[in-house]
Amino acid sequence: MDTLLLKMAHITKRFPGVLALDDVNIELNRGEILGICGENGAGKSTLMKILSGSYVSAEYDGNILIDNMPVKFDSVYDAQARGIEMVYQEMNMLLDSSVAENLFVGNLPGRNGFVDYRKLYQSARNLVKQAELDIDVKTIVRNLNSGQIQLLSLMRAVSKSPKILVLDEPTTALTGNEVDILMRILSTLREQGVSCLYISHKLEEIYRICNRVVVMRDGRTINTHDIKDVEKQILIEEMVGRKIENLYPKEQTEPGDEVLRVEHLTVPHPSIHGKNIVDDVSFTLHKGEILGIGGLVGAGRSECLGAVFGQYQKNVKKKVFINNKEVQIKNPLQAIQNGIGFITEERKLNGIVWMLSIKENMSLANLGKISNFFFINRKKEKELVQAQCSSLKIKAPDMETEVVHLSGGNQQKVILGKWLMANPCILFLDEPTKGIDVGTKADFYKIMSKLTKSGVSIIMVSSDMPELMSMSDRILVLAGGKINGELTRKAGNISETNIMKAAIGE
Amino acid sequence: MAEKLQNTTLDVLLKKKVLEKPEAGVFLPLLLLLIVIGFVNKNFFAVNNVIDILRSTSYTFIVAAPLTLLMICAGMDLSIGAATALGGVVCGWGLAVLHWAILPSIMLGLFSGFIIGLIKSFLVVRFDLPAFIITLGLTKIIDSFILVTTGGVAVSGLKNDAFKILGQGKLFGKVHWTILIAIVIGILMHVILVYTKFGRSLCAIGGNKETAKLAGIKVVKTRFLIETTVSVFCAFCGICMCSRFNSGQTAAGEGTELTIMAAVIIGGTSMFGGTGSILGSFLGCLLLAVINNGLVLMHVSTNWQNMIFGLILVVSLFIDKYRRSKNAGTV
Repeated sequence: MDTLLLKMAHITKRFPGVLALDDVNIELNRGEILGICGENGAGKSTLMKILSGSYVSAEYDGNILIDNMPVKFDSVYDAQARGIEMVYQEMNMLLDSSVAENLFVGNLPGRNGFVDYRKLYQSARNLVKQAELDIDVKTIVRNLNSGQIQLLSLMRAVSKSPKILVLDEPTTALTGNEVDILMRILSTLREQGVSCLYISHKLEEIYRICNRVVVMRDGRTINTHDIKDVEKQILIEEMVGRKIENLYPKEQTEPGDEVLRVEHLTVPHPSIHGKNIVDDVSFTLHKGEILGIGGLVGAGRSECLGAVFGQYQKNVKKKVFINNKEVQIKNPLQAIQNGIGFITEERKLNGIVWMLSIKENMSLANLGKISNFFFINRKKEKELVQAQCSSLKIKAPDMETEVVHLSGGNQQKVILGKWLMANPCILFLDEPTKGIDVGTKADFYKIMSKLTKSGVSIIMVSSDMPELMSMSDRILVLAGGKINGELTRKAGNISETNIMKAAIGE
Repeated sequence: MAEKLQNTTLDVLLKKKVLEKPEAGVFLPLLLLLIVIGFVNKNFFAVNNVIDILRSTSYTFIVAAPLTLLMICAGMDLSIGAATALGGVVCGWGLAVLHWAILPSIMLGLFSGFIIGLIKSFLVVRFDLPAFIITLGLTKIIDSFILVTTGGVAVSGLKNDAFKILGQGKLFGKVHWTILIAIVIGILMHVILVYTKFGRSLCAIGGNKETAKLAGIKVVKTRFLIETTVSVFCAFCGICMCSRFNSGQTAAGEGTELTIMAAVIIGGTSMFGGTGSILGSFLGCLLLAVINNGLVLMHVSTNWQNMIFGLILVVSLFIDKYRRSKNAGTV
């Protein structure tokens, strides 16, 4: 059985300004499950999008060979015609159609344009039974839970009898029992000779199901191992092993008194009923401290900050103490009044208002401060905004420029200016340097150091390991909504390996 | 050579001063129309005719000005026509049936608008239901309510000469009061939009609701206030009409909702919220009145009216798109 089925050779893919994949090589044998592991942004998903035809063949360099025959995919359809089926991380189901219709969407059985429902339901029932699901095939998908939907999308791919099945983090929405089912289905498929690419950052699963594993990091394939011959420790080191550049002006500061304490923070999962994305988390923050929050995507990091800030209210449980006094934060306004500022991860979604000017964006969180009664004091507004613009070195013709015309880094500075104008004591930063250039990054770090020196305390969520390790005095690592490790500069146990270990739930 | 140079400067001037303004989409067609009609018919610019145009502009503008703020806040309202009719009928009913004095009757009319506004706000803001459908439904309900209660007959017999002043009286025997009222309302709305916290909040909410919320802006309260304000001003417009026709017309404002919204959009207010101007909306309303008036003067059938307005609506969006694409390339 050990014959080569798929070969991806020298795949290189560039996004504007970023090299997403750099000479990636992967070989998949017939009837094997190949694990692909790596950090956030290692290039796993990009690689799979190339294999599944989401990127046109002209957009990348390199070759794909199936059975030693070169192939070119210009659409998802091309890839499917070659027997490649992808099960996506995010669910793509028609929520208001039935289970059966979803399973066979695109190739409903029937003749002359009419659907043969008897045949449809019969085939659907077989698939549902294979997935060990106890649901009627006429059920509307919206009424199912996300685990069931995830298994259905797997079965939809299986129903097309693929040669190669690609799974991208398939267990994110699954419970323990459902993971077992998934593993059984995959084993059966393997026995039938189907090959499978299994992307996951959960090493436990990789060990459980895969024959071999490929480690990716920074858009490259680092190594390939037989799963029998490799220890977890080695995989972790290969996933993180990266040199840290010296662009962090972190100064040694002695954190002062406690300024913020959060107790028993619990946030329900937005899409999975009955699951908590943040599960009974407690932490403290000291004056002048930078507290880093690490963990993988979906571990509940952003939700922690958002919930404390009052962004989410529904069914959130928390106790918040500022300077040892309990405070009620039911909405963002109360958070601001308590001296908290919040730079969110999604700049476009909830950071800026596109069509407004730099000035108008900056004064948004400070309307009370710059107004006399109803009226905005335009002179005061201009002065305050001008002060931020020059201290943050925002590059723009003037402060009336609409933010839509600014670069990502400058937009981020405008958002920072908005919060600094409010003179916060506590600043929440969620992926503060995501998608901005190196120069502006360095500016950001300098500003952070300056702020902590003046007594501001910062909580920073970051997936950028060097940034997290260099800037934080202390790091909390979240895994599955719980704190799974606390590393401190003082104890000297901040290292990529330690963070990664905690993040994958070791 | 010299000619070419001059052309370029004119070109630059045109682009800088006119085309880059958000009101460009309405201003250019309006200017063209004024020139053409004025050229064809000398009476067009006679004082009485101009006042006539302004008078009809004033009624639409009393609704369009607050509606501009609502649309900047990413809202929409199809019930403006129905709220107008209700305000007029209720006020007329107060005068003719209840025999109330003028001021209480006007207050009663405004109150009916306030109630409509509250119901609308509750459904659209509090329960976050789609404004298009909700206000469409409200329109039907109000229209029917008016027909049922009045039997479809206008509320007449007001027998109150003082009340007529609002819609029929003139300053210096020339300029109708509603024109002056509309100007005051326009200035008021402009000041609110540009110079107050409330106005800035409207722009922020319309531009990005989530950002506004995270910046500590009271999104629900702000939206409630503007939704209700619009309905109250509609009722006021209805009261003015009641005074003008000396009766509460059951069909006052019928079919105007889309025209007025179109006038606001022609004036450069984004359908998706965030930006817009009161001046633009004024020009939009003026355009409507000019088309009407001009066609009559030129002895063209009024059946052409909507076609011309529709064409200008489409053209103005093109101008707006051109303006945006030009602006996007500036920095």
